[in-house]
Amino acid sequence: MRFTQLVVMGLGFAGFSSTALAADADLIERGKYLTDAADCVACHTTSGGKPFAGGVEFKLPFGSLYSPNITPDEETGIGSWSDEDFVRALHSGVGKDGKHYYPAFPYTSYTLMPEDEVLAIKAYLSSLEPVKNTPPENTLSFPFNQRWGMIFWNMLFLDDERFEPEADQSEQWNRGAYLVQGPGHCAECHTPRNLFQALDSSQPLAGNLVQDWQAYNISSDEVHGIGAWSEAELVSYFSKGHAAGKGVAAGPMGEVVSNSLRHLEQSDLSAMATYLLSTEPQSAGVARPEVKQLSMPTAEEAGLGSKVFADSCASCHRWDGKGTQSPIASLAGLKTVNDPAATNLLGILLTGHSNPEQQVDQRMPRFAENYSDPELAAVSSFVLQHFGQSGGSVSAEQVAAKRGNTGH
Amino acid sequence: MNLLTINGEQHQLDVPDDTPLLWVLRDVLGLTGTKFGCGIAQCGACTVHLDGEAVRSCVLPVGSVAGKSVTTIEAIAENAVGAKVQQAWLEHEVVQCGYCQSGQIMSATALLQHNPSPSDADIDAGMAGNICRCGTYTRIRAAIKDIGQA
Repeated sequence: MRFTQLVVMGLGFAGFSSTALAADADLIERGKYLTDAADCVACHTTSGGKPFAGGVEFKLPFGSLYSPNITPDEETGIGSWSDEDFVRALHSGVGKDGKHYYPAFPYTSYTLMPEDEVLAIKAYLSSLEPVKNTPPENTLSFPFNQRWGMIFWNMLFLDDERFEPEADQSEQWNRGAYLVQGPGHCAECHTPRNLFQALDSSQPLAGNLVQDWQAYNISSDEVHGIGAWSEAELVSYFSKGHAAGKGVAAGPMGEVVSNSLRHLEQSDLSAMATYLLSTEPQSAGVARPEVKQLSMPTAEEAGLGSKVFADSCASCHRWDGKGTQSPIASLAGLKTVNDPAATNLLGILLTGHSNPEQQVDQRMPRFAENYSDPELAAVSSFVLQHFGQSGGSVSAEQVAAKRGNTGH
Repeated sequence: MNLLTINGEQHQLDVPDDTPLLWVLRDVLGLTGTKFGCGIAQCGACTVHLDGEAVRSCVLPVGSVAGKSVTTIEAIAENAVGAKVQQAWLEHEVVQCGYCQSGQIMSATALLQHNPSPSDADIDAGMAGNICRCGTYTRIRAAIKDIGQA
């Protein structure tokens, strides 16, 4: 009799603990998905460093900020944080020690996430290997090193409120709005900032310059934003990093695709596209070029620029810009060839992108070492004039300055 | 499984979609006339035709070629323009070491198919990206010019 009872109790316990384990595993899995969606890894991992161990430098005009270690290490990470501490950090921008964060940490977006999702992220981070790493101290100058000043900033610019679905919009639209505004924190790069370094609410998603790259206008404007893209093109861009004749994700956006967007479910990516296509159009920033019928360079275009293009670019991109070689190599229709400042054009020429995860036809060699400043200036000017209508032209000094900014 | 049309013949191939076409041509099908040079579309040695356009096979995933027609140097003599190019190459004794030449002939044929009488500038632009370490460029240009004027 007793023996049977024991067996029954034992089975009961076994059943209970395996359900609890499964629930944990589900929570951690959900947390991983949200951690990907929120792209935490991008800012909390140095190049070549351990994931989430922090130490990434954010250079500001008044000093540098360093991202903290968010692995579950007790001393140097967030291992000793309670659930309340973690929720307060993401919802209110205040750390366990009561210190106010600077808005380089996008808590003004994460604040939209419901508490259970925030805690799923914590559960995932807690499941990782603790890493002992103390990032460098911030080097902000006075008065910016006075964290309490953020109290006033938060009064002005932080709505400590969760996402509320709009009743007259579809479930898909609301899901997209949540992902874009909350975890995805797209506006943090794509919305211009005001004098106080807060997002300028009068121009949502109208584009901004971030780390010397154009985070283009992604409002629904057809000329300046993504209004002319189809939903399928947006989903292709999110999941593969390219949409032929519309855009190729390079530089920091390339990292967003590889760290975050490509890990999301197609239904979520479609929802984000649905929402972005419905936003208020903003006619600001670089315009998409008209796609012209193009061929070989004309006699007037002949020069150093067309020579460099012939030697190094035409093989993949072709003179007509259609990239028949591979539609991913289309130049025609890209904003990058119509930006008179050539911001992203110079960025991609100097850094390339050759992530081994990318298909071979998606990789672009870097030309920082192969060509001099005057050569890169000439080929950039040729590209702007041949494929775009901005009339822009690039000087060797601009190339030199860009080399300084991109570290190449 | 990819269904490819290469030099008019259909091939069923069991290779991953992201394999570059050049690897399929040389290692799977044994068509070694197309050469590997740089592997990043900067030298032109691997040029083949895709629906008549000159493309660099080293950066072309085989998955993106399905349903299209590939022509390699092995079959270029069956193309009227290609046969003329080969003949002109012999007459001008273009070739020195020869490594880049299958790519040069493929690019020249594509150029002449689009533009039967190219000017010097058209030739320079059209043959751009096909590099020759022996420096046979002047003979290449003369051979193409000859066909254009014939």
